[in-house]
Amino acid sequence: MIDTAVEFCAVTKVYKHFTLDQINLNLPTGCIMGFIGANGAGKSTTLRILMGLVHQNAGSVEVLGHAMPEEQATAKRDIGFVSEDMRLYGAATLEWHMGFVRSIYSHWDSGYADQLLRRFDLRAQQKIKGMSHGQRVKAALLLALARKPRLLVLDEPTTGLDPIARREVLGELMAVLADEERTVLFSSHNTLDVEQISDQITFIDRGRILDSSDKETFLDRWRRLRLVLPPNTKLPGLPGVVNVDGSGRLPVVTTNRFEPAMVSACTQAGVAVQAVDVMTLEEIFVASVQSQREGQAI
Amino acid sequence: MNIAIVSRLIRKDWYFNRVGILASLFAGFVTVGAVAALRRSQVALILGLIVVVTILIGMGAMVMMSAAMERRQQTLPFVMSLPISYREYTTAKIVGGMLIFLVLWGALVADVVATILLTPGFPHGMIPFVVIMAVEIVMSTCLVTAVSVTTESHGWTVAVAQVGGLSLNAIGWSIVRLPGIGGTIKSTTVQWSGTATALLAAELALIAFMLLITFFVQAHKRDFI
Repeated sequence: MIDTAVEFCAVTKVYKHFTLDQINLNLPTGCIMGFIGANGAGKSTTLRILMGLVHQNAGSVEVLGHAMPEEQATAKRDIGFVSEDMRLYGAATLEWHMGFVRSIYSHWDSGYADQLLRRFDLRAQQKIKGMSHGQRVKAALLLALARKPRLLVLDEPTTGLDPIARREVLGELMAVLADEERTVLFSSHNTLDVEQISDQITFIDRGRILDSSDKETFLDRWRRLRLVLPPNTKLPGLPGVVNVDGSGRLPVVTTNRFEPAMVSACTQAGVAVQAVDVMTLEEIFVASVQSQREGQAI
Repeated sequence: MNIAIVSRLIRKDWYFNRVGILASLFAGFVTVGAVAALRRSQVALILGLIVVVTILIGMGAMVMMSAAMERRQQTLPFVMSLPISYREYTTAKIVGGMLIFLVLWGALVADVVATILLTPGFPHGMIPFVVIMAVEIVMSTCLVTAVSVTTESHGWTVAVAQVGGLSLNAIGWSIVRLPGIGGTIKSTTVQWSGTATALLAAELALIAFMLLITFFVQAHKRDFI
């Protein structure tokens, strides 16, 4: 068993108007990593490099112990990939697709595929062109899951889905992932989607990894402190401050290295702490991106 | 090279093109049958050949455009998520497409040649011209293949297919004016001249060159999607 399912070391990919810059990424086996970034941040490029579909200009990529892109054919035997821009053959039925993928993967699990058909409420005899977008996404997920991949790579699978279909897809995906021990890399610009299913979080913006950690640590170390500064009192030096908002007397400090001792440090400095707000993943993501764009180290 | 998966991809392309190909083949056989039925009619023979050439060009374009269609219809990411390399994908597209096309091309060309040889009244001297033009259609199909696979652009592929189809008339008109071809076209026996051999060799060399170029370009691609 390999401890690391995915490892990017200083991976760079240069396009005319975009550069994926020195990406270092480590996904331990068995983890579900949410890969969050705005549109055009470099999520899809990173995942395409992971799949061997795009060649990096520099750096090394290892997936399930295989060097990419050189050993992509071998690596992809154990990878299930679903991306937002992936379409199935409209003229063929889901049953044909299942037969096609089954003929390629020796470890295709027909019983599990039937189970997923029922769980996703899909009809195998239906042609893909007659399916709704939500059903097509579920069909693609079924084809990826029933091949029993060790690594599941999902590139914005919920993009373009209406709220009902998105909830359905995520709900089914969570149910499927709950009883499995597989590594998952899930990219999205929707933090709510990622928060629901991930145990590791990585932020990417403008081709650079901003931060990467397990979800609980992320949520624990980011806080927003609402302070009251008495006249002629300076804001004490606090660790990990990424942003200070609000008026001069009522600053709102965002930190990514929160510790309870910070509250007592403020009090000792004569600064009243009105509130310590827990931040959502979306707020954390936005704060990370803004501070990076403003040139602050996170 | 994983032959099993390459052959599976070829069967997949055959599955999606089978109705059009079989319909084209049927239309071709019916046309040649009608030409044979209208014995000694040179007009019927010429019209029949034009229809068969059109069918072959259309069939070739249909089969060989599948790479461009896969990108256009966004099924390429699905195919490339399977355990294949670029080389295997390219091989499946080129070898598979050419195999499917050549089997059907062979059947129709053999039918036309047999009709000319077996139907009383048709000059056997046409055979070299027919064979050269038939190989010219293969060459045109290879060009469509090269453009389709390397550019994966539907627009470029359609444009090249149209230019290939139109230039076929000009090439046919030029070839028939060559003494080594046109001079013997009405002969009652097959006259295989040095000109005919040279033309055929040039066509085959160009076919090989185009296929090699396609593999070379694909091997040096850095971004596949």
